[in-house]
Amino acid sequence: MKRFTLKSMGVAAAAALVLTACSGDADDTDSGEAYDPEAPVTLTFTWWGNDDRAERYNEAIALFEEEHENITIQGTFVDWDGYWTGRSTEAAGRSLPDVMQFDLSYMREYSENQHLLDLSPYLGEQIDTSGFDDALIESGAIEGVQVGLPTSTNTLALFYNPNLLEQTGVEPPSDDYTWEDFNDLIAEATEAGEQTGDGEPIYGGGDYTGTFWFFLQWLVQEGKTPFNDDGSFGFTEEDMAAFLELAAPLRDEDLVYPVDRGIQLLPLGGFTVNESATEISWDNFLAGYVADSGTEDIQMMPIPTGSSGEKAMFFKPSMLLAAGANTEHPEAAATFIDFLLNEPEVGRIFGTSKGVPAVQAQRDAMELEEGSVDATVVEYEEAVAEHVTEPVPVPVKGFGSIEAEYKRLAEELAYESITVDEFVELWFTEAEMATQ
Amino acid sequence: MSTDQVVTGTAAAVSHESSAQLRRRNRSRSRLGSVGFHVGSLALTAVVLYPALWMLMSSLKPSSEIVGNVSLVPTGASLDNFVTALNGIGGVSFWTFFWNSVILAVGSVVGIALSSSVSAYAFARINFPGRNLWFSLMIGTLLLPFHVVIIPQYIVFNNLGLVNTFVPLLIGKFLAAEAFFVFLMVQFMRNLPRELDEAARIDGAGHIRIFTAIMLPLMKPALVTASIFAFIWSWNDFFGPLLYLKDPSLFSLPVALRIFVDQTSTSDYGAQMAMAVLALIPVLLFFLVFQRYLVAGVATQGLKG
Repeated sequence: MKRFTLKSMGVAAAAALVLTACSGDADDTDSGEAYDPEAPVTLTFTWWGNDDRAERYNEAIALFEEEHENITIQGTFVDWDGYWTGRSTEAAGRSLPDVMQFDLSYMREYSENQHLLDLSPYLGEQIDTSGFDDALIESGAIEGVQVGLPTSTNTLALFYNPNLLEQTGVEPPSDDYTWEDFNDLIAEATEAGEQTGDGEPIYGGGDYTGTFWFFLQWLVQEGKTPFNDDGSFGFTEEDMAAFLELAAPLRDEDLVYPVDRGIQLLPLGGFTVNESATEISWDNFLAGYVADSGTEDIQMMPIPTGSSGEKAMFFKPSMLLAAGANTEHPEAAATFIDFLLNEPEVGRIFGTSKGVPAVQAQRDAMELEEGSVDATVVEYEEAVAEHVTEPVPVPVKGFGSIEAEYKRLAEELAYESITVDEFVELWFTEAEMATQ
Repeated sequence: MSTDQVVTGTAAAVSHESSAQLRRRNRSRSRLGSVGFHVGSLALTAVVLYPALWMLMSSLKPSSEIVGNVSLVPTGASLDNFVTALNGIGGVSFWTFFWNSVILAVGSVVGIALSSSVSAYAFARINFPGRNLWFSLMIGTLLLPFHVVIIPQYIVFNNLGLVNTFVPLLIGKFLAAEAFFVFLMVQFMRNLPRELDEAARIDGAGHIRIFTAIMLPLMKPALVTASIFAFIWSWNDFFGPLLYLKDPSLFSLPVALRIFVDQTSTSDYGAQMAMAVLALIPVLLFFLVFQRYLVAGVATQGLKG
């Protein structure tokens, strides 16, 4: 605690200045009463995550309370599944917490039912947005209502295990590799017929067409907008079939990581038990991969290039912060959100454990050790910035269920109990119901 | 065992003369059968207990060795996971979670034993207007799926300002809202001879006296059964605490357990296993101590009447 004192005093002084600046015109906010930044307030704040994240949040909260002596934060946390059960019950009772960690996939649902506070009146007031990219702020808005602000960004990456690739005698791909090149790599590595120390066969990779977000990324590469503003789809049955067909040669010859073994390993996967050499995933998964696989050496590179010759990647806003529409202290909630988004010390506390911070000041404050997981992820996002040319597809209502349906059908496809055409037909039937 | 009897029966019917010989053969066959029975049971026990044993052994392994690995023997056993688990989560110690679970479980047992027995006495022994209607309504609540009442209940407790306390989790138990236990005790009490309380009434005892001096002592098996179920159910309850307890220092063990395995970041399976083992110990001890009462209680239920 002691070593922060000087630093945090400086920050507190700065924050106090900002606060006095705001309080002058706090009257324009529509809360009816003038906001008194000195009044004692208790805010509830909730997040999902493990014990490590809880410790980091507790540290950040302690720092915030030190700066804002009148605001007390009651932090609470559970795991991801329990989190959404809890929130939906609270939403029904109009008693959502004042501030919440939020996810893009639930955003539209909660926003349409007016459960989330519109943060736009507080932008530029309590919440400093100068460090944000405009597109990133936009990604937290649904139909003009600013329901959330992202703490960090994620983008897709190809992870590979250099040791396994070396064992199979396959070279890692070059930067401008295409989806077809990626297929060849998987096929070659699997056909090498190598085995792990435990005698399990080594595969080149899994069936990448089984993840809904990869399909969206591929659509963006093909120049399509996955979801239109009116909530309709910007893709057809043919598009989905074409994407699924990409990996068909691999599936037909059993060259991808077998689905039954993958399910047996849940919640881990072929890549994390060192039986599969490559995997496409979100870049913030690196920490988990290193921890679960026990392999320090996991490399990252950009995803395959699309048929247009562009990678057309996007930053997915992650760990958004939102406020409950029922909050009695919107200004205080906004002050706390601002602190979590912009305070450099918070950036230092969290590192990249929630993704790469959206604000430069927080990125700069991270103490990155050369070659550490954090440094690798930040370097990766900086390196691929040139490929990030597209906005993130904002999920439609019911996104959670259409994504889950896609995953379920992909499993059936892997078990060969349905064909690609049946997959597409079943998915569209389900999706039309879920998104209405 | 019943097959043995059948076999003896048919054999005896076949011939009287060779009965001694047959008996001897039967005995050796039944010994063979008994060996087979025990070997079979042991094999079945091993299969059934394997997951529990796997959990116990996994709690000694490092996280990376747990998932996808069916072997029991850890390569390097260590108690590190238990140290992590006992250190707690986010600044809240394991013992806080443990203590919360104990308060909830003991509170449930006390509440159910007190309230359900009194309500059962009223239903079984007092003739009040609309008794059958009320009794059917109470049974009716058993048919109401739990999920239907979650949200209305939450709204009520939220408006009363009782969320984030143990009250929503315990109040129903003190108000005999657990229809299952009331029903169990009513059925038990209906089987107790009415002559006993009639005799007490003649001696001048009122309802309170009859209940405390006559009924309660006789109801011991039903009370024990109800208490055991109440304890185990409360100890294992995940959903109620998840909804009503917001402050991590009020979490019960099942909620805390889940935090070690968060799919969106690194999961500590080892610590989760260790905590699962620690969480199981009390309920296992409780069961071992009370299991003979449990069987006795259920058996009395079935035999009377």
